[in-house]
Amino acid sequence: MKLLETQKVSKYFGGLCALKDVDLSLNQGEVMGLIGPNGAGKTTLINIISGAYHPSEGKVIYDGRNISRLKAHQINVLGVARTFQVVRIFKRLTVLENVLTAMVDRGREGPWKLVWGSFFRRACAFNQDAAACATAEGLLASVGLLRYRDEQAENLPYAMTKRLEIARALATRPKLLLLDEPSSGLNPAEQNEQIKIIRQINQQGVTILIIEHVMKVIMDISHRLIVLHYGEKIAEGAPQEVYRDPLVVEAYLGGEAHA
Amino acid sequence: MTGPRQKLLWALAAALTLALPWLISDRYIQHLLVMSLIFVIFASSWNLLTGYAGQLNLGHAAFFGIGAYTSALLALKLGVPPWIGLFLGGFLAAGSGFVLGIPSLRLSGPYLAITTIGFAEILRLVAMNWVSLTRGSLGLYGVPPLPGFFGIQFTTELTFYYVALAGAALALFCFRRLTRSEFGLSLQAMREDEQGAESIGVSTNRFKLTVFTVSAFFGGFSGALLAHYQRLISPDLLSLHETFQALTMTIIGGLGTLTGPVIGAVLLTFLSEGLRFVEDVVKIDVRLIIYGALLVVTILFMRGGIVGLWERLRAGRGQDTEER
Repeated sequence: MKLLETQKVSKYFGGLCALKDVDLSLNQGEVMGLIGPNGAGKTTLINIISGAYHPSEGKVIYDGRNISRLKAHQINVLGVARTFQVVRIFKRLTVLENVLTAMVDRGREGPWKLVWGSFFRRACAFNQDAAACATAEGLLASVGLLRYRDEQAENLPYAMTKRLEIARALATRPKLLLLDEPSSGLNPAEQNEQIKIIRQINQQGVTILIIEHVMKVIMDISHRLIVLHYGEKIAEGAPQEVYRDPLVVEAYLGGEAHA
Repeated sequence: MTGPRQKLLWALAAALTLALPWLISDRYIQHLLVMSLIFVIFASSWNLLTGYAGQLNLGHAAFFGIGAYTSALLALKLGVPPWIGLFLGGFLAAGSGFVLGIPSLRLSGPYLAITTIGFAEILRLVAMNWVSLTRGSLGLYGVPPLPGFFGIQFTTELTFYYVALAGAALALFCFRRLTRSEFGLSLQAMREDEQGAESIGVSTNRFKLTVFTVSAFFGGFSGALLAHYQRLISPDLLSLHETFQALTMTIIGGLGTLTGPVIGAVLLTFLSEGLRFVEDVVKIDVRLIIYGALLVVTILFMRGGIVGLWERLRAGRGQDTEER
């Protein structure tokens, strides 16, 4: 079953064409890798799917619904969560609070309802709500962050901030998770840990679209790969096939291989 | 944290706060206590918007003034009971807060600051020049006091202290609830990273409008309280000076903390009065110089203000005992 589909998605920034007619389709439960040289438009594509940008042309269909014009927070409520290439954690909140904030049921609770709810709630502080904390702790444990529970997020080592972003994204209970370079800047041991975490998330039924430059990671966990080059899709298929595709080799290594 | 010792300390502090104006019979000091309490509310409401939600509002005096003028004019011209006026002043300020929130959807940081300064300044000029309604720079005098009950009149510093105390307690209770709930966490998430907050479903536009409205309500409420206490209000209430009063108090006390603006408001109210005596001697405006210097020192050397410093000291002591 198709969970996500982009139909001829293009994005222009002024005269610059960042994406050109990109078709992509993700099946439920799949891990799709998105690779390509720097500036190929990978992050732009994730930004479009998650609603940070709107496509200039084309459509994004999620779960049978056109989401091209929805805002980022609306798309998240529908079940699409993401992480960022440059981490965007909430630095001056604790690790636990970072996850708790993501657990609020945004579909039903607008800001005024939350204002009202502030006064009619058993636990006087959300970060002391036992049920919510237990869920958040479970999520932290699943990415190995439980021992940092009460630490300010800004004090975390870099690799842990990457994991915190994943835990935060999961706290919104997504069906589709968009990961933008989850293992950039990590050492090999940390990369292996990251692979394990991503696999586990997938095994729990979450569909994943992942951008990654670390080949070991991407070859290990993707079921299929898509290659972007100068905003266009140049290859698609099983990791081993794509790896040997002459067009892909050319994109990465230059024209010599072709000539 | 809430051991029996903690509870005892809280009870003692509460008893002291209640008994304070009886312990100090000097009416001038009692007046300063009342002013401190009014500024506790005003500074805290600014703190909710800027310290928690990260919206740099330099036009907060607009809400102060709107609250004061609304309640005063309603009482003077239409005979609306001041007790109701206090809240109507808050509600009208809240409405204007919603309006001022609209530019915040497009602007942030210094650009929002400039826009909000403009908003307050326009209102100040209106209050200055709409002489038939506001009496311009002469100000409105003879604002009715809050009606008394059970034979207590709220016309003296001593009795008004308890009104202001009740108001401050109510406001602080609300701020405590608001900042520690899902609402408060969402605001802080928005302050830390708007895109990150959007990515977990926070509709930053709606949260900005909401927090502008809520914060403005309390700003207006504190202004209305002041109007019925001083019983004389002037367009100065809408000036940038009042905003900076809230800003300085909050930053020196501790931005984005609940106790920060409380400490700051009490400290600076008394400090600025103390400096008035110095001014009489040295004949220059040292108050603003010292305010500025304190602000610079706080920002450079103790981010997090007095509360931040206290927490760091306590954390340091905790580590020491762990090491032993």
